[in-house]
Amino acid sequence: MSKSRKCIQILLAGILIVLSACSNSSSSKELPKSSTEEAQTAAVEKEANPFGKSEEPITINIGKEIDASDKSLPAGDSPESNQYTRYVKEQLNIDTKIVWQAAAGKDYEQKINLSIASNDLPDAMVVKETQFRQMVKSGQLEDLTEVYNKYASPTIKGIIETTNGLALKSVTVDGKMYALPNVTPEADMVHYMWIRKDWLDKLGLQPPKTMDELEKVAKAFVEQDPDGNGKADTVAITGPQLGGNLNADFLNPNNNNYGFDPIFASYHSYPGFWLKDSNGNTTYGSIQPETKQALSKLRDFYSKGLIDKEMSIRKNAQELIKNGTSGIYFGVWWSGGYGPLADAYQNNPEANWQAYAAPLDMDGDFTPHMGNPSNQYLVVRKGYEHPEAVIKMQNLLYRDESKFDVNVAISNYPLRLVYASMDVMDVTYKMLQEVLAGTKKPEDLDLPGYNLLKADAENIKKVKLEPYNNNDIQYWDPNADIGVWKRMYSTLVGIAPLQEPFKRTYSVTYSQTKTMESRWAALDKLEKETFLKIIMGAAPLDSFDQFVIDWKNQGGDKIIAEIGETAQP
Amino acid sequence: MKTKGYTKHYYLMLLPGFSWLTLFSIVPLFGIAIAFQDFNPGLGVFHSEWIGLENFKYMFTLNDSKTIFFNTIFIAVMKIIGNMIVPLIFALLLNELRLAIFKKWIQTIVYLPHFLSWVILSGILLDIFSYNGPINGILSIFDINPILFFARADLFPFIIVSSDVWKEFGFNTIIFLAALTGINPSLYEAAAIDGASRIQRLLNVTLPGIMTTVILLSVLSLGNVLNAGFDQIFNLYNPLVYSSGDIIDTWVYRTGLLNLQYGLATAMGLLKSVISFTLISVSYFLAYKFANYRIF
Repeated sequence: MSKSRKCIQILLAGILIVLSACSNSSSSKELPKSSTEEAQTAAVEKEANPFGKSEEPITINIGKEIDASDKSLPAGDSPESNQYTRYVKEQLNIDTKIVWQAAAGKDYEQKINLSIASNDLPDAMVVKETQFRQMVKSGQLEDLTEVYNKYASPTIKGIIETTNGLALKSVTVDGKMYALPNVTPEADMVHYMWIRKDWLDKLGLQPPKTMDELEKVAKAFVEQDPDGNGKADTVAITGPQLGGNLNADFLNPNNNNYGFDPIFASYHSYPGFWLKDSNGNTTYGSIQPETKQALSKLRDFYSKGLIDKEMSIRKNAQELIKNGTSGIYFGVWWSGGYGPLADAYQNNPEANWQAYAAPLDMDGDFTPHMGNPSNQYLVVRKGYEHPEAVIKMQNLLYRDESKFDVNVAISNYPLRLVYASMDVMDVTYKMLQEVLAGTKKPEDLDLPGYNLLKADAENIKKVKLEPYNNNDIQYWDPNADIGVWKRMYSTLVGIAPLQEPFKRTYSVTYSQTKTMESRWAALDKLEKETFLKIIMGAAPLDSFDQFVIDWKNQGGDKIIAEIGETAQP
Repeated sequence: MKTKGYTKHYYLMLLPGFSWLTLFSIVPLFGIAIAFQDFNPGLGVFHSEWIGLENFKYMFTLNDSKTIFFNTIFIAVMKIIGNMIVPLIFALLLNELRLAIFKKWIQTIVYLPHFLSWVILSGILLDIFSYNGPINGILSIFDINPILFFARADLFPFIIVSSDVWKEFGFNTIIFLAALTGINPSLYEAAAIDGASRIQRLLNVTLPGIMTTVILLSVLSLGNVLNAGFDQIFNLYNPLVYSSGDIIDTWVYRTGLLNLQYGLATAMGLLKSVISFTLISVSYFLAYKFANYRIF
């Protein structure tokens, strides 16, 4: 008897050891933190140099998104150790350690969500708006107000100020700044048409401007064998991939490549955006009659086979463009060279992708929706000893970006935020034209606020062949330096459509309201599912009307009212 | 004295399993509290605000709830039936084969897919059923227009069920084959002497001989009714087939992990657990009653 009781005691003791071991590890973490914190506050008071090299090595643990298709790292380098991380170490004495990494997009978002839910955060990471709000609500973030004021370089501050307070407003809660916002160029917000000009030429067609012309061209692309292989295997319009969005929305307003944003916009339909109606009341773009009209057209296109039949099921929309199956897609300026076009060129040097501000609306205007200058938020875990490190890293990147080898993808820079003056791409485009025309020299272009301009000007003639005013693919030499070509092609071809004046539509808000935190997921799912089904013919067009009723009843009306209130000055 | 020293080792051997169970199954049970809270990860389970049954109320107002419950049960029941009948028939057919090497070959080949993960198989399936894939190639011979299988909500559950049965039937056959070897060969000899044909031997000797196994397995699978297979569906579905393919597990994943609605997701997960627990209890009782199967 006593023996068996002993056995149970042993068992319990074992469990206790296991449990106490767990609790030990967490409490031992706490101790050294406070002492280093004190040491650090002393150091902060000593000096506040935006580019100052720390005396003691600083370690920062980060969560990082990885582009799985990125093969630009030289042999031996890794996301954790490459030209960028070594430079950060050398200049600032900051060691970046990757505690976890995930593929860019859904995987990365999910990994962040897991970190938030389990309250197990890396020292710093780049998150999106909804995640930022959640972390503020949960009290997980370090207040960056002071370190921002002390350490942000004048250039970074200047760029943030060009947004007229929008960027700072989006990260400030109760007077405290809980994240470092990015600032994207305006060009990242505008979606337009990319088309295979060699196909157009072959079939004797003009670049389409209106929806009717687009339909004619798309039809010809499908039926008249533009790739000349004798098979009816071409797709006209590439659609979003699995998990991709049909249209950008107020939470993800920028960079929605392969969606149908320009088609919606040509009907003055702005699904996913909060708009002001003619009476000045706030309303939601997705429930407007114009959206039904655009959906009807897309449904028509799809049923006629003009849009990729397997859109939203295909795992990667780019493959159609790379392998030369598709002739049209919609995207922003960088979706060209930085996107699938380098591979498309390697597969077929004649693939002459060009960009046009199209389709136009009934009056002949180009009427895209616009995004928010800030869509990335660099957050720091509450209690991290060196919050200034993340700010210094951004200062450094902006100042010295042009010194790096462009062939190594910039996404390997740890915790990179996009910082660009809103007009940076327009200025770059115009200046490069001047450089090509010989009216400006690279030396003239060392302008503050445009950190890459001089390097771009020096590089342009490496890859651009004469005549300089013709951007067709045969007047480029991508093989001279593919990294440079990606940027230059994106800039010259991708920014050209934005040189004509166009009509901008902004969302009333780009952040969530209180009710949205609990209700938005269900409403958003209802909307995306309905729209996709309508376009792909799985539901009748008139299910749109039922969607509008359901959407309003399930909290939509309440949210519109909330936004209307906050939007009033 | 000797026997008591012996038991001590048993308890020691129990220790790793028991600590594992405590750490990963019993301690996390406290997480259930999230279902009744406005959960705030920064505050944790202990300090988040209690909101009572709010999450459950909202859950039942959602149209999704009905759909996912129906989908889960429909897909799972179909899978249970398919995974019972197909391996049974296959085992009976194999058992009739006389050539031992041939039998072994077939067995090996059909249980290979069991060892592939759904991540790999989903890629293969998506290709086979794609718009330009081989299945549509075959259909085109009969002048049938290509079908986009994975966009069809009406077909999706059947693709899920049949691909799952295809993947698992070889492996599930093993249990029945094992039961078949347990039948006394003298029964077959006796039947043959009495002049029973092959069919008669199958009906009167083989089937009764493995009936207890069949009953036991079908009863125990009741506990699995709400497990419709997260891996498989997650890798194959898309928004177009949510209406017929979204199950509790995938919904909980999206709501909790992608949309950060921890309370709601936990509430739904809890409801699933409660129903599963009831079903397991019932099936255990039935297994005892009909197959005399007991753990304790």
